[in-house]
This record gives sequence, structure tokens and C-alpha cells, in this order.
Amino acid sequence: MRKSSLLVAFLLVLTLSVGAFAAPLMVYSSVDEENARDILAAFTKDTGIPVRFVHLSSGPALARMEAEKDNPRADIWMGAPSENHVTAKQRGLTQPYFSPNAKVLDAKFVDEEGYWTSFYMNPMGVAMNTAWAKKAGVETPESWQDLLKPEFAKEIQMPTPQSSGTGYNLVASLILAWGEEEAFSYLRELDKNIQTYTQSGTAPSQAVAVGEAGIGIQFTPAFLKYMDEGYPLQLIFPKEGVGYEAPAISIIKGAPNLEHAQALVDWLISLEAQNKFGELKTYFFPVHPQAVAGEGLPAFNEIPLLEYDAIWAGDNRKDIVDKWIDEVLRGQ
Amino acid sequence: MSTILLETKQRGRRVYLELQRLAKEPWLALSILAIFTLLALFIVLPLVKVFQMSLASGESSVAGGSVAMYKEVFQSWYMRKALVNSLVTGVLSALLAVLVGFIMAYTVTRVNVPFKKFFNLVSIVPVISPPFVSALSILLLFGNNGFVTYNLLGIRNFPIYGLRGLLIAQTITFFPVAYLSMKGVLEAINPALEDAAFDLGASRWRVFGKITLPLAAPGIASALLVIFIESLADFGNPLVLAGSNYPTLAVQAYLEITGMYNLAGGAALAVILLIPSVSAFILQKYWVSKKSYVTVSGKPTRSTVKSVSGAMQWILFAFCVVVSIVVLVFYGIIFVGAFSRAWGFDYSFTLRNFSYVWDVGYKTIVDTVTVALVSTPISGILGMFIAFLVVRRNFIGKGLMEFTSMLSFALPGTVVGIGYILAFNTKPLLLTGTLTILVANFVFRYVPVGIQNGIAALHQIDPGIEEAATDLGASSQTVFRRITLPLISPAFFSGLVFAFVRAMTAISAAIFLVSADWNLMTVQILAQVSSGRLGAAAAFSLILVGIILVAIFIIRILVDRLLGVKFETRF
Repeated sequence: MRKSSLLVAFLLVLTLSVGAFAAPLMVYSSVDEENARDILAAFTKDTGIPVRFVHLSSGPALARMEAEKDNPRADIWMGAPSENHVTAKQRGLTQPYFSPNAKVLDAKFVDEEGYWTSFYMNPMGVAMNTAWAKKAGVETPESWQDLLKPEFAKEIQMPTPQSSGTGYNLVASLILAWGEEEAFSYLRELDKNIQTYTQSGTAPSQAVAVGEAGIGIQFTPAFLKYMDEGYPLQLIFPKEGVGYEAPAISIIKGAPNLEHAQALVDWLISLEAQNKFGELKTYFFPVHPQAVAGEGLPAFNEIPLLEYDAIWAGDNRKDIVDKWIDEVLRGQ
Repeated sequence: MSTILLETKQRGRRVYLELQRLAKEPWLALSILAIFTLLALFIVLPLVKVFQMSLASGESSVAGGSVAMYKEVFQSWYMRKALVNSLVTGVLSALLAVLVGFIMAYTVTRVNVPFKKFFNLVSIVPVISPPFVSALSILLLFGNNGFVTYNLLGIRNFPIYGLRGLLIAQTITFFPVAYLSMKGVLEAINPALEDAAFDLGASRWRVFGKITLPLAAPGIASALLVIFIESLADFGNPLVLAGSNYPTLAVQAYLEITGMYNLAGGAALAVILLIPSVSAFILQKYWVSKKSYVTVSGKPTRSTVKSVSGAMQWILFAFCVVVSIVVLVFYGIIFVGAFSRAWGFDYSFTLRNFSYVWDVGYKTIVDTVTVALVSTPISGILGMFIAFLVVRRNFIGKGLMEFTSMLSFALPGTVVGIGYILAFNTKPLLLTGTLTILVANFVFRYVPVGIQNGIAALHQIDPGIEEAATDLGASSQTVFRRITLPLISPAFFSGLVFAFVRAMTAISAAIFLVSADWNLMTVQILAQVSSGRLGAAAAFSLILVGIILVAIFIIRILVDRLLGVKFETRF
């Protein structure tokens, strides 16, 4: 009896130490620090696979993967919109994997050749500082056209498409919806009301939260986060429709820890994990059709979504950004 | 013909003598060799890798031999505008920061006014500017809804974005660099010279214009150079305060890499950025080397301070008070933010930001302090030692050593970061993800400031003192440790402080070098700012500032003890 319990204890210690010595899964996370920490901790809890991660926004992450190409230091790149993963695929930085769990997802969330899989989505949103609006005596804008009103002169901040994937997403989705001519003529008009084009995709939410700008345009999670922190913001989805991003995950080519990397992809798009996005207060919209969106998120089916084509957007990036610099920015 | 032959012969003989002298001092020869190896490895190699990358053809980023990237850059009006903006901002920032730094340093060292210790502190503290949060603080002060502009002056839509905001931010963040080096230089000027001029009947302006200013000129030149280069390479401030309407080269290089995923284009922009930086460096070297002044030539002296008139004294005092208020409000805003529920909107008191930081960032804080503690002494001693070699010793490749050690400072951090990954990601130099790569990056990126300060300070010390020691049988090592280092201790101290501060606050290169094992607080601050936790970012920044202040205090005591200098008389 005593001997056997000793043996069990010995085996337990052995397995535990083997587990501890197993190389952890190395993640480059473009999901923000806090959410990445929560999501990956939940993954480790469910699967027992140890994880380490570094938070890098998409530009630095891609630059790093490219510089480390001959000797990859990470296994997987989690987060950043799917068009960035298209870039990674075209540069030969990632490798294909079809997760069995991906079958239930909408086709637009999975790369045809399996190089990337989207695991959540965020709609574009417009937020207004209600304290400012009260003081300035303006009405809540309801559409993209309303944002052209002179009362919003020099009060709107949006990210620049040059450096920000968010800014580019806004420009590209308007072009996809309205055609190039009309979209650019709108952006030229909107330029008159722009206070500044920010370099970072999340800077407008800061500016509008502290009242630096009256109105900010960007993806919704940071707006919702600020509202939760107590800032006086009102979130608006213009009635003509908004674009969205579908952040994805790709396995890095030459990943030292391939098996666990695949396990993370499987887990992230599983129904249990997708439901956790709400519980963890990530403000991410799940992509799994049966998953429930979290508390504090607007009902997804009430958001007027524009169609988005990540591959087209990725392929035409340089031309569109150059045209935007020449026609919108230079016009000032 | 024969004269040329003779010259060649003479030069050959000089080289021979030089080698013979080095052979007598193997320690010196070895250190020179070691420094050259390190410079080649940690400055030249990454730069070569970046240069290779800039010649990559188009989007593929495969290193090749094409100048397509450069052509593209020069054909774009936007990039040309960025070049002009960078130069304009660099010149104006350098002038403003040196002006403020000089006035503060002059008042503290030469004028009899109250609160000198306080002014000294106020002028050193802004060297610690947590990235992004300090730019945010400027927005909260001078922005559209800013405390000064909107609440005090009632201006909405004050055009803060662009040159104006950038100059405010860069002057506040860079004037301490000028102050520290100006103070070191002004303290090293023997007041007996000024006293002598007064005794001979010279007016105050004449003494200032003919004695103080010319003696401080090498220091002013090096401060101008350093700040010009810093401004060119700065990307944290313009990233927040300039927006797309006011592009600058360093930001564009960063954005090419991180926004357009174009490593080659970013590298090309960085190489272009090198041209003004390196030109400034060469200009300064030429100018300073033409004007060498020796003032410390033996026993220390004490002076009666009578350099300015009564009225001027109070004008300077008022200036210092205004600068102090700006600095205090600048930090006050961050301080308040760290303890507020919603920074910028709801100012009710809370400690939740700190409990959050403790929870999320404890390991990062330990990592950051470790990296800074390891890199600071290496950087400080290396800086003074290179300065000593460059000014006091003759050896082959001296100019090359000075030039190379300055080089990485002139490169935007983003590109240094990329260069480091490219250079150190394969065996036998596999350093990515380690403590070594972070330390090497900080040491070699920020050692130039120590070198510059050291050179400026050494130019003012009569080599006769050291020669006397050598004649009495002291080795190079002993002369450096017992004579030179204590004499230039203010420059040594400011070099150490600068190295520590930068190791704690730099982000542009570090963001490419952090790993799961070694993360840095600045990278965390950026993450908090971009995910909307302004309070947590402010709390992080406050902890950062606190750690640095404690460290400066400890460094001061250590420098006192180790060099046997009584600092109370100097600081």
C-alpha cells in the first residue's frame, strides 16, 4: 500500500517535471497584452500546454518574423487583421494548417489554402464624447454623411491608412462599398473636419475619451473599454454600414513547436473558447456561429456591416495609400 | 617627389614608434583592440545588415543590389517633405533646448539665487520622459481640451499637432541633456579666469562674451549636436503629436517597416537620415577641435560669484521659475492620472491602477531594472574610456574609433532594432531573446552621449596633470582611474545617469528585441496606452520615474565613494 502510493507519487513528480521541461509554445501576440494574457491562460488551463508570449503590434511582428525567417523564434502569430496574415503568407513566413474545428466557420474566416484562420472580429465604429457634444450643442451623427457637417470641423480623429491597418480598413471598405471615385470624394470632404490623422489605430479612442477630439473613428474594442472605464462616450454605427476586421492566427514556417501551435488554433476556434471571449470581457465578437457575444457588446446582427475583401485589400494597399496621400493629404 | 618620399618615410617611422609604444603597454593595446572588436560587432555589423536590406529590390525584401528604394523615396513629395521637416525640427529643437539648458545651468552654477538645488532637480528630472505618456501629458496641457490652452486661456482648436507640439515636447524632453552637459562644462571652467577679468575692469557682458561663452563653446557645440541627432531620431513624440500632416523621417522609417511592412524602404529612409546626422557630427568635430581651451591646470579654486547684475539675476531667476512650473505641471498631470479613475475625465482618487500594474507588470519591472543595472556601468565606463583614448592617446584608427562609436546614436532606433535581429539571429552570434542583446543595444546606442561629454570635459583639462603622473611612473590604467576619471567626474556622472535613464525609457529599438523572458516597461506602457488603459500607463510611468530618481541618487553616492570626489561641492 505504502509502496504503491510512493510509486504513484514518484510517477506524478516525473510527469510533472517532464511537463515543466517541455518547451513552451512561443506566441507573437498582436492581441493586446491583457486580453492575450487572459486568453492564453485559459488555453493552458484547458489543455495543459505551457505558453509564453510577447505582445507585438502587427508591423513589428511581421518585421520580426521576416528578420528571424532563417531561424524562427516563435511558433505562432496570434491577432492582427487577416490582410496582414495574407502579407505573411505571400512573404512565405507562415505554413498552412486546416483545423478540423474550422469547418463550421464562414468561408471568409479561413484562408483557401489554410494559411490563416480568423478567430474573432471587430466592427468599425464612430464614437462621440458626450460631454463635448453637450457643450458644443451638436446632435448625434447617424451616418457617414452627417460627419461632413460643419459643426464637426476639426473635431474628428481617424487613423492614417499609411501606418494603421485600421485607417486602411476604413478607406478600403468605403471603396469596396461605394466605388473608388465616390469614396475618395467623400474622404476629401471629410478631410475638412479632420483634426489629425493619427499614426496608431487606437489613438482616436484616447483623444475622444479625454475630450481632445469630439469624435473618433476606429475599431470598437478600445471604445467599449473606455466606456467600461467610465469615460463619457457614445458608440455609433453609421447607417450606410461599417467595415470590420477579422483578426487571424497563423503558424510560423519552421515553428519549433508545431504540434502545440496546431492545438492553439484548434482551441481558439472551438465553441468553448469562443464563448470565453465574452466571459473574459475581451470586447471581441466571436466567429463561431453558435457562440454567444459577451456582455456590453452591441447585438451583432443589428450592426450594418459592409462586405470586406481582405485579399483585394491586401493586394491593392500600396496604390490606394499612395492615392490617399496624393489626393486627400496633399489637398490640405 | 623627394618631399613626398620623405613624408612617407616620416609617417612610416611615426607608425613604427607608435607600435613600439603600444608594445610597451600591452594593456592599452589590448583594450583598443577589444573596443574595436565590440564596435565592429555591435555597431558596424547591424548597420551593414540594414544597408544590405535597403538595397533589397521592391517588396520582396530579398537583399540584392538595387537602388530602386532610394529612387522611390526621392520621387515622393511626401518623403521630401519629411526630410525638410526633420531638419527644421532638429535645428529648432536643438537651439531651444540648448538655450533653456544653458540658462538653467548658468543660473545654477554662476548666479546667486535661492532654490538652486530645486532648479537643479527640475532640470534633470525631464530627462526621464516615459514615451507616449509624456506626449499625452502635453496633449492634456496644450491640446484642444488642454488645461493651459482651453481651461486657462479658453482656446479650443489650438493647433498643437505638427511643429508646435513637437517643439514643446522635444524642448521639455531634451533640454536636460543640454543642462547636464552645460553644467558639467560650466563647473569645469575655472572661475579664477572670470575673477581675473573682473579685476582687470572688464564689464559683465564682456566677461561673459569673451571668457565664459568661448570656454563653454565646445560643450555647447556637443550639446547642439547631440540634441539635433536625438531630435532627428525621435519617434515617440512625433508619433503622437505630429500626425500625418507633419511627416518626419524617423517616423516614416518606422512606419514603412511597421505600417507598410516594407523593411527595405524603412532601411533606405534610415540611411538617408544618416546623412544630416553624420554631417552634423563632422562639422562639430572640426569646429571643436579648432578651439581647445585648457582651464583646469592644477589646484581647485573657489570663486566669489559676481557674474551678473542684480536685475539680470532676477530675470534669470524668473526664467528658472517658469521652466520649473512647466516641468512640475507636466509631471503633475501624469501623477494625477496615475491615481485617477479615468485620466482626463474623472479625477476621483483610486489605487486600482497600481494594483493592476503590480498584477500585470511585476516581472517586467524586475526585468527592466536588471537590464538597466547591467548596461549602465558598462556604458558609463566604456564612454569615459573611449573619450580618454580619443583625446589623450595617439593610435592608428583613433578617428575611426570616435566616428564609429558615435554612429549608432545617429540611427533611428527602429532600424537599429531590425539590424540587431538581422545580425544576431543565427549561430554563432545567436543572441535574440537574451539579456545580452538588450544590454548590447543600450550600451552601444547611448554610449555616444558619455563619449561626447567626456571629450568636452577632457578638452578643458591640461594634459600636463596626467603627463606628470605618467612621468612619475603611473601606467595608462592608473592615470585613467586615479587622475582622469575623478577630474571628469561630472561628465562621468551625467554619462551614467543618461545610460540608466535611456535603458529605462527607450523604446524604438527595444520593441524589436524584447522577448517573453526579457520584457521592458516602456513596451508595456505602449501596450497599455494603445489598449485604452491610460491610468495604468500613467501608473507605470510614475513607477518608472520613481525607480530612476532612486537610481540617480545611488549613482551619485557611488561615484562619490569610488572616485573619492566630494560631490556636495559640485551637485
